[in-house]
Amino acid sequence: MNALATAIAILLTQWVNVPLPNTPRTPDGKPNLTAPAPKTRDGKPDLSGLWRNPDGKYLDNIAADGIDVPFQPWAAALYKDRQETFSKDRPSGRCLPHGVPDAMLVPATPFKIIQTPGVTLILFENQGHYRQIFTDGRGLPKETQPTWLGYSTGRWDGDAFVIDTVGFNDQTWLDDGGHPHSDAFHAMERFRRPDFGRLDLELTIDDAKTYTKPWKTTIHFALFPDNELMESVCENELDAKRLVGK
Amino acid sequence: MSHLAIIAMLLGQWVNLPLPNTPRMADGKPDLTAPAPKTQDGKPDLSGVWRIADGRYLQNIAADVGEAPFQPWAAALYKERADALGKGRPSERCIPHGVPDAMLVRNSPFKIVQTPGEVVILYEEFNHYRQIFTDGRGFPPETNASWFGYSIGKWEGDTLVVDTTGFNDQSWLDDPGHPHSDALRITERYRRPNFGNMSLEITFDDSKAYTKPWTARVPFNIFADTELIESICENEKDHAHMVGK
Repeated sequence: MNALATAIAILLTQWVNVPLPNTPRTPDGKPNLTAPAPKTRDGKPDLSGLWRNPDGKYLDNIAADGIDVPFQPWAAALYKDRQETFSKDRPSGRCLPHGVPDAMLVPATPFKIIQTPGVTLILFENQGHYRQIFTDGRGLPKETQPTWLGYSTGRWDGDAFVIDTVGFNDQTWLDDGGHPHSDAFHAMERFRRPDFGRLDLELTIDDAKTYTKPWKTTIHFALFPDNELMESVCENELDAKRLVGK
Repeated sequence: MSHLAIIAMLLGQWVNLPLPNTPRMADGKPDLTAPAPKTQDGKPDLSGVWRIADGRYLQNIAADVGEAPFQPWAAALYKERADALGKGRPSERCIPHGVPDAMLVRNSPFKIVQTPGEVVILYEEFNHYRQIFTDGRGFPPETNASWFGYSIGKWEGDTLVVDTTGFNDQSWLDDPGHPHSDALRITERYRRPNFGNMSLEITFDDSKAYTKPWTARVPFNIFADTELIESICENEKDHAHMVGK
Protein backbone atom coordinates (compact mmCIF):
# COMPACT_ATOMS: atom_id res chain seq x y z
CA MET A 1 0.00 0.00 0.00
CA ASN A 2 2.72 2.45 0.92
CA ALA A 3 4.70 1.78 -2.24
CA LEU A 4 1.61 2.49 -4.29
CA ALA A 5 0.81 5.65 -2.35
CA THR A 6 4.38 6.79 -2.86
CA ALA A 7 4.28 6.09 -6.57
CA ILE A 8 1.08 8.08 -6.92
CA ALA A 9 2.51 10.98 -4.97
CA ILE A 10 5.63 11.01 -7.14
CA LEU A 11 3.58 11.03 -10.32
CA LEU A 12 1.45 13.90 -9.09
CA THR A 13 4.38 15.87 -7.86
CA GLN A 14 6.31 18.35 -9.92
CA TRP A 15 9.26 19.87 -8.13
CA VAL A 16 10.86 22.86 -9.76
CA ASN A 17 14.36 22.60 -11.13
CA VAL A 18 16.44 25.31 -9.49
CA PRO A 19 20.14 25.09 -10.42
CA LEU A 20 21.65 26.32 -7.16
CA PRO A 21 24.93 28.24 -7.22
CA ASN A 22 26.43 26.32 -4.29
CA THR A 23 26.02 22.91 -5.89
CA PRO A 24 29.42 21.38 -6.80
CA ARG A 25 29.31 19.94 -10.30
CA THR A 26 31.00 17.29 -12.37
CA PRO A 27 32.40 18.37 -15.79
CA ASP A 28 29.09 17.50 -17.45
CA GLY A 29 27.28 19.97 -15.19
CA LYS A 30 25.52 17.42 -13.01
CA PRO A 31 25.65 17.75 -9.24
CA ASN A 32 28.78 16.11 -7.87
CA LEU A 33 27.32 14.04 -5.09
CA THR A 34 30.67 12.72 -3.88
CA ALA A 35 32.23 16.18 -3.47
CA PRO A 36 33.24 17.07 0.09
CA ALA A 37 30.48 18.22 2.41
CA PRO A 38 30.26 22.00 2.66
CA LYS A 39 31.34 23.76 5.85
CA THR A 40 29.93 26.73 7.72
CA ARG A 41 32.02 29.79 8.58
CA ASP A 42 32.90 28.27 11.94
CA GLY A 43 34.26 25.14 10.29
CA LYS A 44 31.41 22.79 11.13
CA PRO A 45 29.86 20.58 8.46
CA ASP A 46 26.90 22.36 6.89
CA LEU A 47 23.93 20.01 6.75
CA SER A 48 21.84 22.53 4.79
CA GLY A 49 20.06 21.19 1.75
CA LEU A 50 17.07 19.23 0.52
CA TRP A 51 17.13 15.63 1.66
CA ARG A 52 15.05 12.60 1.01
CA ASN A 53 14.90 9.10 2.38
CA PRO A 54 15.29 7.01 -0.77
CA ASP A 55 14.05 3.77 0.73
CA GLY A 56 10.42 3.47 1.70
CA LYS A 57 11.09 0.44 3.85
CA TYR A 58 12.07 2.67 6.75
CA LEU A 59 8.78 4.50 6.56
CA ASP A 60 7.06 1.14 6.86
CA ASN A 61 9.41 -0.04 9.57
CA ILE A 62 12.31 1.89 11.10
CA ALA A 63 13.59 -1.43 12.44
CA ALA A 64 13.60 -2.93 8.90
CA ASP A 65 17.31 -3.80 9.06
CA GLY A 66 16.72 -6.78 11.29
CA ILE A 67 16.65 -4.86 14.55
CA ASP A 68 15.19 -6.78 17.45
CA VAL A 69 12.94 -4.13 19.00
CA PRO A 70 12.82 -4.50 22.79
CA PHE A 71 9.09 -3.87 23.24
CA GLN A 72 7.40 -3.66 26.61
CA PRO A 73 4.45 -6.11 26.50
CA TRP A 74 1.75 -3.45 26.01
CA ALA A 75 3.75 -1.86 23.21
CA ALA A 76 4.21 -5.20 21.46
CA ALA A 77 0.45 -5.74 21.61
CA LEU A 78 -0.28 -2.26 20.29
CA TYR A 79 2.22 -2.65 17.46
CA LYS A 80 0.67 -5.99 16.52
CA ASP A 81 -2.77 -4.40 16.51
CA ARG A 82 -1.62 -1.57 14.28
CA GLN A 83 0.05 -4.01 11.90
CA GLU A 84 -3.08 -6.10 11.65
CA THR A 85 -5.23 -3.09 10.77
CA PHE A 86 -2.76 -1.93 8.10
CA SER A 87 -2.02 1.16 10.17
CA LYS A 88 -5.41 2.60 9.38
CA ASP A 89 -5.46 4.91 12.39
CA ARG A 90 -2.08 6.54 11.99
CA PRO A 91 -2.17 10.26 12.74
CA SER A 92 -1.19 11.39 9.25
CA GLY A 93 -4.35 9.75 7.92
CA ARG A 94 -6.22 12.53 9.73
CA CYS A 95 -3.80 15.32 8.77
CA LEU A 96 -2.09 15.18 12.14
CA PRO A 97 1.69 15.48 12.06
CA HIS A 98 4.19 12.84 11.32
CA GLY A 99 6.64 12.97 14.23
CA VAL A 100 10.30 12.24 14.90
CA PRO A 101 11.71 10.48 12.90
CA ASP A 102 8.61 9.61 10.90
CA ALA A 103 8.34 12.99 9.16
CA MET A 104 11.76 12.49 7.54
CA LEU A 105 10.99 9.02 6.23
CA VAL A 106 8.38 9.73 3.58
CA PRO A 107 10.24 9.21 0.26
CA ALA A 108 7.70 11.24 -1.72
CA THR A 109 8.17 14.33 0.41
CA PRO A 110 11.68 15.69 0.91
CA PHE A 111 12.71 17.89 3.80
CA LYS A 112 15.05 20.85 3.94
CA ILE A 113 17.68 21.58 6.55
CA ILE A 114 18.63 25.22 7.09
CA GLN A 115 21.59 25.48 9.43
CA THR A 116 22.13 28.88 11.02
CA PRO A 117 24.43 29.86 13.90
CA GLY A 118 21.73 29.75 16.59
CA VAL A 119 19.10 27.40 15.28
CA THR A 120 18.86 24.64 12.71
CA LEU A 121 15.53 24.39 10.96
CA ILE A 122 14.01 21.31 9.42
CA LEU A 123 11.26 22.23 6.99
CA PHE A 124 9.11 19.27 6.05
CA GLU A 125 7.41 19.31 2.69
CA ASN A 126 4.93 16.88 4.18
CA GLN A 127 2.06 18.87 5.71
CA GLY A 128 4.17 22.05 5.59
CA HIS A 129 5.39 21.59 9.16
CA TYR A 130 8.72 22.58 10.66
CA ARG A 131 10.99 21.67 13.50
CA GLN A 132 13.47 23.94 15.30
CA ILE A 133 16.70 22.63 16.85
CA PHE A 134 18.21 25.23 19.10
CA THR A 135 22.01 25.48 19.11
CA ASP A 136 22.34 28.73 21.08
CA GLY A 137 23.13 26.90 24.31
CA ARG A 138 19.75 27.52 25.89
CA GLY A 139 19.25 23.97 27.25
CA LEU A 140 15.94 22.19 27.51
CA PRO A 141 13.20 24.13 29.34
CA LYS A 142 12.21 22.95 32.81
CA GLU A 143 8.69 22.26 31.67
CA THR A 144 7.39 21.64 28.22
CA GLN A 145 3.90 21.01 27.03
CA PRO A 146 3.59 17.69 25.26
CA THR A 147 4.01 18.30 21.54
CA TRP A 148 4.04 16.36 18.28
CA LEU A 149 7.57 17.31 17.33
CA GLY A 150 9.10 17.84 20.78
CA TYR A 151 11.60 20.42 22.01
CA SER A 152 15.05 19.97 20.49
CA THR A 153 18.52 21.22 21.34
CA GLY A 154 21.61 20.43 19.30
CA ARG A 155 25.36 20.44 19.72
CA TRP A 156 28.40 19.33 17.75
CA ASP A 157 30.35 16.26 18.71
CA GLY A 158 33.25 16.38 16.25
CA ASP A 159 31.62 16.26 12.83
CA ALA A 160 28.37 14.81 14.17
CA PHE A 161 25.38 17.04 14.91
CA VAL A 162 23.78 15.59 18.03
CA ILE A 163 20.16 16.45 18.78
CA ASP A 164 18.33 15.73 22.00
CA THR A 165 14.56 15.95 21.88
CA VAL A 166 12.07 15.59 24.73
CA GLY A 167 8.59 16.91 25.44
CA PHE A 168 6.73 14.62 23.06
CA ASN A 169 3.11 13.71 23.40
CA ASP A 170 2.32 9.99 23.09
CA GLN A 171 0.38 10.39 19.85
CA THR A 172 2.90 10.11 17.05
CA TRP A 173 4.01 6.84 15.54
CA LEU A 174 7.73 6.29 14.95
CA ASP A 175 6.90 4.94 11.49
CA ASP A 176 3.84 4.18 9.43
CA GLY A 177 3.96 0.59 10.64
CA GLY A 178 3.14 1.93 14.07
CA HIS A 179 6.10 1.54 16.42
CA PRO A 180 4.65 3.36 19.42
CA HIS A 181 6.18 5.64 22.01
CA SER A 182 5.09 7.22 25.26
CA ASP A 183 5.47 10.75 26.61
CA ALA A 184 8.76 9.56 28.17
CA PHE A 185 10.28 9.34 24.68
CA HIS A 186 13.75 10.88 24.44
CA ALA A 187 15.05 10.94 20.87
CA MET A 188 18.80 11.20 20.34
CA GLU A 189 19.76 11.88 16.75
CA ARG A 190 23.32 11.92 15.40
CA PHE A 191 23.49 13.44 11.91
CA ARG A 192 26.63 13.18 9.79
CA ARG A 193 27.23 14.38 6.25
CA PRO A 194 30.10 12.28 4.89
CA ASP A 195 29.99 13.96 1.50
CA PHE A 196 27.92 16.43 -0.50
CA GLY A 197 25.26 13.94 -1.48
CA ARG A 198 24.70 11.93 1.66
CA LEU A 199 23.35 12.41 5.17
CA ASP A 200 23.39 9.65 7.78
CA LEU A 201 21.17 9.55 10.82
CA GLU A 202 21.73 7.32 13.78
CA LEU A 203 18.64 7.51 15.97
CA THR A 204 18.50 6.20 19.53
CA ILE A 205 15.05 5.66 20.96
CA ASP A 206 15.06 5.91 24.72
CA ASP A 207 11.60 5.36 26.19
CA ALA A 208 11.53 3.12 29.24
CA LYS A 209 7.74 3.04 29.35
CA THR A 210 7.57 1.53 25.88
CA TYR A 211 10.86 -0.30 25.38
CA THR A 212 12.85 -2.37 27.89
CA LYS A 213 16.08 -0.67 26.84
CA PRO A 214 17.23 2.07 24.42
CA TRP A 215 17.58 0.89 20.85
CA LYS A 216 19.14 2.28 17.71
CA THR A 217 18.42 2.49 14.03
CA THR A 218 20.46 3.96 11.18
CA ILE A 219 18.85 5.69 8.22
CA HIS A 220 20.47 7.28 5.17
CA PHE A 221 19.25 10.26 3.24
CA ALA A 222 20.16 11.32 -0.29
CA LEU A 223 20.53 14.93 -1.33
CA PHE A 224 17.79 16.14 -3.65
CA PRO A 225 19.96 18.66 -5.50
CA ASP A 226 18.86 21.69 -7.50
CA ASN A 227 15.34 21.56 -6.19
CA GLU A 228 13.01 23.28 -3.81
CA LEU A 229 10.27 22.08 -1.52
CA MET A 230 6.74 22.27 -2.81
CA GLU A 231 3.84 23.24 -0.65
CA SER A 232 1.97 20.20 0.57
CA VAL A 233 -0.86 21.15 2.87
CA CYS A 234 -2.89 18.31 4.28
CA GLU A 235 -6.40 19.30 3.37
CA ASN A 236 -8.43 18.20 6.21
CA GLU A 237 -9.48 14.60 5.88
CA LEU A 238 -10.49 14.95 2.28
CA ASP A 239 -8.85 11.59 1.68
CA ALA A 240 -9.53 9.96 5.02
CA LYS A 241 -12.57 8.11 3.82
CA ARG A 242 -10.53 6.50 1.07
CA LEU A 243 -7.84 5.06 3.32
CA VAL A 244 -7.47 1.33 3.10
CA GLY A 245 -7.52 -0.73 6.28
CA LYS A 246 -9.62 -2.78 8.61
CA MET B 1 -13.81 35.60 18.30
CA SER B 2 -12.60 37.63 21.25
CA HIS B 3 -13.62 34.77 23.51
CA LEU B 4 -11.57 32.36 21.45
CA ALA B 5 -8.65 34.74 21.61
CA ILE B 6 -8.88 35.02 25.37
CA ILE B 7 -9.13 31.27 25.83
CA ALA B 8 -6.14 30.74 23.58
CA MET B 9 -4.17 33.33 25.55
CA LEU B 10 -4.98 31.58 28.81
CA LEU B 11 -3.99 28.20 27.42
CA GLY B 12 -0.87 29.54 25.77
CA GLN B 13 2.21 29.41 27.96
CA TRP B 14 5.20 30.85 26.21
CA VAL B 15 8.52 30.14 27.84
CA ASN B 16 10.56 32.94 29.31
CA LEU B 17 13.90 32.69 27.67
CA PRO B 18 16.39 35.51 28.19
CA LEU B 19 18.16 35.51 24.82
CA PRO B 20 21.80 36.62 24.66
CA ASN B 21 21.27 38.94 21.67
CA THR B 22 18.49 40.97 23.29
CA PRO B 23 19.69 44.53 24.03
CA ARG B 24 18.80 45.46 27.61
CA MET B 25 18.13 48.50 29.70
CA ALA B 26 19.79 49.11 33.06
CA ASP B 27 17.03 47.17 34.81
CA GLY B 28 17.58 44.13 32.56
CA LYS B 29 14.40 44.55 30.54
CA PRO B 30 14.61 44.35 26.74
CA ASP B 31 15.49 47.73 25.22
CA LEU B 32 12.86 47.94 22.52
CA THR B 33 14.15 51.25 21.15
CA ALA B 34 17.73 50.03 20.68
CA PRO B 35 18.95 50.02 17.06
CA ALA B 36 17.84 47.16 14.87
CA PRO B 37 20.46 44.42 14.61
CA LYS B 38 22.39 43.97 11.36
CA THR B 39 23.55 40.89 9.52
CA GLN B 40 27.18 40.33 8.56
CA ASP B 41 26.56 41.94 5.17
CA GLY B 42 25.18 45.08 6.79
CA LYS B 43 21.49 44.53 6.06
CA PRO B 44 18.93 44.94 8.80
CA ASP B 45 18.30 41.60 10.49
CA LEU B 46 14.57 40.99 10.77
CA SER B 47 15.11 37.82 12.81
CA GLY B 48 13.06 37.47 15.94
CA VAL B 49 9.68 36.46 17.30
CA TRP B 50 7.04 38.99 16.21
CA ARG B 51 3.43 39.65 16.94
CA ILE B 52 0.87 41.90 15.35
CA ALA B 53 0.51 45.05 17.44
CA ASP B 54 -3.24 45.35 16.99
CA GLY B 55 -5.83 42.60 16.56
CA ARG B 56 -8.11 44.77 14.46
CA TYR B 57 -6.20 43.96 11.27
CA LEU B 58 -7.18 40.33 11.60
CA GLN B 59 -10.76 41.57 11.76
CA ASN B 60 -10.23 43.81 8.75
CA ILE B 61 -7.01 44.13 6.81
CA ALA B 62 -8.46 47.28 5.27
CA ALA B 63 -9.25 48.81 8.70
CA ASP B 64 -7.18 51.92 7.93
CA VAL B 65 -7.98 51.97 4.22
CA GLY B 66 -11.72 52.51 4.21
CA GLU B 67 -13.30 50.21 1.67
CA ALA B 68 -11.15 48.07 -0.55
CA PRO B 69 -11.68 48.67 -4.32
CA PHE B 70 -13.71 45.51 -4.82
CA GLN B 71 -14.83 44.12 -8.13
CA PRO B 72 -18.61 43.60 -7.85
CA TRP B 73 -18.43 39.81 -7.31
CA ALA B 74 -15.76 40.29 -4.67
CA ALA B 75 -17.85 42.91 -2.86
CA ALA B 76 -20.80 40.52 -2.83
CA LEU B 77 -18.68 37.63 -1.58
CA TYR B 78 -17.12 39.78 1.14
CA LYS B 79 -20.56 40.93 2.28
CA GLU B 80 -21.80 37.35 2.39
CA ARG B 81 -18.78 36.22 4.43
CA ALA B 82 -18.93 39.20 6.77
CA ASP B 83 -22.69 38.71 7.26
CA ALA B 84 -21.98 35.08 8.23
CA LEU B 85 -19.43 36.36 10.78
CA GLY B 86 -16.60 34.78 8.84
CA LYS B 87 -17.98 31.30 9.22
CA GLY B 88 -16.54 28.96 6.63
CA ARG B 89 -13.09 30.50 6.66
CA PRO B 90 -10.33 28.01 5.85
CA SER B 91 -8.63 28.13 9.25
CA GLU B 92 -11.66 26.72 11.03
CA ARG B 93 -11.07 23.52 9.07
CA CYS B 94 -7.34 23.54 9.90
CA ILE B 95 -6.52 24.78 6.42
CA PRO B 96 -3.86 27.50 6.39
CA HIS B 97 -4.26 31.13 7.00
CA GLY B 98 -2.58 32.74 4.00
CA VAL B 99 -0.62 35.88 3.27
CA PRO B 100 -0.91 38.18 5.19
CA ASP B 101 -3.61 36.60 7.32
CA ALA B 102 -1.24 34.17 9.08
CA MET B 103 0.72 37.11 10.53
CA LEU B 104 -2.34 38.92 11.85
CA VAL B 105 -3.36 36.54 14.62
CA ARG B 106 -2.36 38.31 17.80
CA ASN B 107 -2.27 35.26 20.04
CA SER B 108 -0.08 33.37 17.59
CA PRO B 109 3.29 35.01 17.11
CA PHE B 110 5.58 34.21 14.21
CA LYS B 111 9.33 33.97 13.96
CA ILE B 112 11.58 35.30 11.25
CA VAL B 113 14.87 33.48 10.63
CA GLN B 114 16.95 35.50 8.19
CA THR B 115 19.79 33.68 6.46
CA PRO B 116 22.01 34.81 3.56
CA GLY B 117 19.98 32.93 0.92
CA GLU B 118 16.48 33.03 2.28
CA VAL B 119 14.20 34.42 4.93
CA VAL B 120 12.04 31.86 6.67
CA ILE B 121 8.81 32.74 8.44
CA LEU B 122 7.79 30.19 11.03
CA TYR B 123 4.19 30.58 12.11
CA GLU B 124 3.25 29.39 15.55
CA GLU B 125 -0.21 28.81 14.26
CA PHE B 126 -0.62 25.37 12.69
CA ASN B 127 3.17 24.96 12.77
CA HIS B 128 3.38 26.13 9.15
CA TYR B 129 6.26 27.93 7.46
CA ARG B 130 6.86 30.18 4.50
CA GLN B 131 10.10 30.59 2.56
CA ILE B 132 11.22 33.85 0.91
CA PHE B 133 14.16 33.25 -1.41
CA THR B 134 16.81 35.99 -1.48
CA ASP B 135 19.47 34.05 -3.40
CA GLY B 136 18.68 35.83 -6.64
CA ARG B 137 16.52 33.15 -8.20
CA GLY B 138 13.51 34.41 -10.09
CA PHE B 139 10.06 32.95 -10.16
CA PRO B 140 9.85 29.45 -11.63
CA PRO B 141 8.17 29.34 -15.04
CA GLU B 142 5.28 27.45 -13.54
CA THR B 143 4.14 27.06 -9.98
CA ASN B 144 1.41 24.92 -8.54
CA ALA B 145 -1.31 27.03 -6.99
CA SER B 146 -0.54 27.15 -3.28
CA TRP B 147 -1.73 28.64 0.01
CA PHE B 148 1.40 30.67 0.73
CA GLY B 149 2.54 31.30 -2.84
CA TYR B 150 6.10 31.43 -4.14
CA SER B 151 8.08 34.33 -2.68
CA ILE B 152 11.29 36.02 -3.71
CA GLY B 153 12.83 38.94 -1.84
CA LYS B 154 15.40 41.63 -2.39
CA TRP B 155 16.74 44.56 -0.40
CA GLU B 156 16.00 48.15 -1.33
CA GLY B 157 18.10 50.11 1.12
CA ASP B 158 16.92 49.00 4.54
CA THR B 159 13.66 47.55 3.23
CA LEU B 160 13.10 43.89 2.41
CA VAL B 161 10.81 43.81 -0.61
CA VAL B 162 9.02 40.50 -1.15
CA ASP B 163 7.08 39.57 -4.27
CA THR B 164 4.73 36.62 -4.11
CA THR B 165 2.71 34.92 -6.83
CA GLY B 166 1.33 31.42 -7.38
CA PHE B 167 -1.51 31.63 -4.90
CA ASN B 168 -4.59 29.48 -5.04
CA ASP B 169 -7.89 31.35 -4.66
CA GLN B 170 -8.80 29.68 -1.37
CA SER B 171 -7.16 31.72 1.37
CA TRP B 172 -8.82 34.80 2.84
CA LEU B 173 -6.83 37.99 3.33
CA ASP B 174 -8.32 38.37 6.82
CA ASP B 175 -10.84 36.58 9.01
CA PRO B 176 -14.00 38.33 7.75
CA GLY B 177 -13.00 37.30 4.29
CA HIS B 178 -11.47 39.85 1.95
CA PRO B 179 -11.24 37.52 -1.05
CA HIS B 180 -8.63 37.14 -3.73
CA SER B 181 -8.24 35.22 -6.96
CA ASP B 182 -5.38 33.14 -8.32
CA ALA B 183 -4.18 36.30 -10.08
CA LEU B 184 -3.13 37.78 -6.75
CA ARG B 185 0.32 39.26 -6.65
CA ILE B 186 1.47 40.56 -3.30
CA THR B 187 4.31 42.98 -2.69
CA GLU B 188 5.42 43.26 0.90
CA ARG B 189 7.82 45.87 2.22
CA TYR B 190 9.33 45.00 5.62
CA ARG B 191 11.24 47.54 7.69
CA ARG B 192 12.66 47.25 11.18
CA PRO B 193 13.21 50.80 12.44
CA ASN B 194 14.49 49.61 15.82
CA PHE B 195 14.89 46.50 17.91
CA GLY B 196 11.30 46.35 19.02
CA ASN B 197 9.30 47.31 15.95
CA MET B 198 8.72 46.07 12.43
CA SER B 199 6.41 47.60 9.88
CA LEU B 200 4.87 45.92 6.87
CA GLU B 201 3.42 47.67 3.89
CA ILE B 202 1.49 45.23 1.79
CA THR B 203 0.13 45.87 -1.69
CA PHE B 204 -2.53 43.61 -3.15
CA ASP B 205 -2.55 43.52 -6.93
CA ASP B 206 -5.37 41.29 -8.15
CA SER B 207 -7.30 42.72 -11.07
CA LYS B 208 -9.81 39.85 -11.00
CA ALA B 209 -10.91 40.70 -7.45
CA TYR B 210 -10.07 44.44 -7.13
CA THR B 211 -10.38 47.31 -9.59
CA LYS B 212 -6.91 48.61 -8.70
CA PRO B 213 -3.98 47.68 -6.45
CA TRP B 214 -4.42 48.74 -2.84
CA THR B 215 -2.10 48.95 0.12
CA ALA B 216 -2.45 48.21 3.82
CA ARG B 217 0.07 48.92 6.58
CA VAL B 218 0.37 46.77 9.66
CA PRO B 219 2.71 47.13 12.66
CA PHE B 220 4.41 44.33 14.57
CA ASN B 221 6.07 44.27 17.99
CA ILE B 222 8.98 42.10 18.97
CA PHE B 223 7.96 39.38 21.40
CA ALA B 224 11.24 39.40 23.25
CA ASP B 225 12.89 36.63 25.23
CA THR B 226 10.49 33.92 24.25
CA GLU B 227 10.04 31.12 21.78
CA LEU B 228 7.21 29.83 19.65
CA ILE B 229 5.17 27.00 21.08
CA GLU B 230 3.86 24.22 18.90
CA SER B 231 0.28 24.78 17.86
CA ILE B 232 -1.08 22.00 15.69
CA CYS B 233 -4.61 22.41 14.43
CA GLU B 234 -6.14 19.16 15.50
CA ASN B 235 -8.43 18.34 12.77
CA GLU B 236 -11.80 19.95 13.21
CA LYS B 237 -12.09 19.07 16.88
CA ASP B 238 -13.39 22.56 17.52
CA HIS B 239 -15.35 22.89 14.34
CA ALA B 240 -18.64 22.03 16.03
CA HIS B 241 -18.15 24.90 18.46
CA MET B 242 -17.61 27.63 15.91
CA VAL B 243 -19.98 30.57 16.09
CA GLY B 244 -21.51 32.00 12.96
CA LYS B 245 -24.50 31.92 10.71
